[in-house]
Amino acid sequence: MPLTHTTEDADGVVTLKLVGSLDAMTAPELAPTIDSFVGEKRTKIVVDLAGLDLIDSSGVAAIVGLYKRARSYGGRVTVTGARDQPLAIFKLLRMDRVFAI
Amino acid sequence: MDERRVIRLTLPAELRYRDVAVRTVAAACRLVSKSRTAHGSVAGPRGQLAEGEELDLSDRFCADVVSAVSEIFNNVALHSYAEGSGEISFELDIAGDHLTISITDTGSAFDPSDIPVPELEALPEGGMGIHIARACMDELDYTPGPPNTWRMTKYAPSAGRSRRLSSQI
Repeated sequence: MPLTHTTEDADGVVTLKLVGSLDAMTAPELAPTIDSFVGEKRTKIVVDLAGLDLIDSSGVAAIVGLYKRARSYGGRVTVTGARDQPLAIFKLLRMDRVFAI
Repeated sequence: MDERRVIRLTLPAELRYRDVAVRTVAAACRLVSKSRTAHGSVAGPRGQLAEGEELDLSDRFCADVVSAVSEIFNNVALHSYAEGSGEISFELDIAGDHLTISITDTGSAFDPSDIPVPELEALPEGGMGIHIARACMDELDYTPGPPNTWRMTKYAPSAGRSRRLSSQI
């Protein structure tokens, strides 16, 4: 299934909302957006997964990659709204604490 | 009486066909009659069976099976066929209290011992697929071919037989 992503920017926080499936096929679509966050050195980044039905390890890798790149300049990434299968994956990989899920 | 039903699906081993495989497997999960939890309903918490684009993976049994199949599908699509494309075949064996899935391809085999267990504390960005599949299924094994065959089984929670056997990987 496809991925829809939207970006909202308010009060210094940039929120990336993902809807659908973040997987090996769709994760590359996030690269330009992630590159722009990092390029602008955004320090407060929220990834909203309330609309995400499915994630795989490629999708997790995309979010982890953003987290590490932001961390390198003191930025912080949190994940909100994770549910169902995506939430189970983050817990399985013990990344729920890293992202404050 | 547990009635066994088999679904077979063969499709190109390409990522663009992920969705077809995932939706078929999700539908097969709903046919495992004992996959409903004791307190859950067929419809799930949102009260409606998903229609159209939405994929309802609120049922844990279904979510876990889809997680495992997703990772194996990716591996085959990305690594099995170096030139051109090949096919990936699924056999979904639906029993009353468990689902067994065989995934085969005729491409390159791999050596399971080549895959290290990921160090999760280091926040890896790859190599997590087989770890996820193994954690999500009760049984998982790989036999190089041809055809190369992944075989996995998950027991429904209310079947009272859910167990974790040591995998052969």
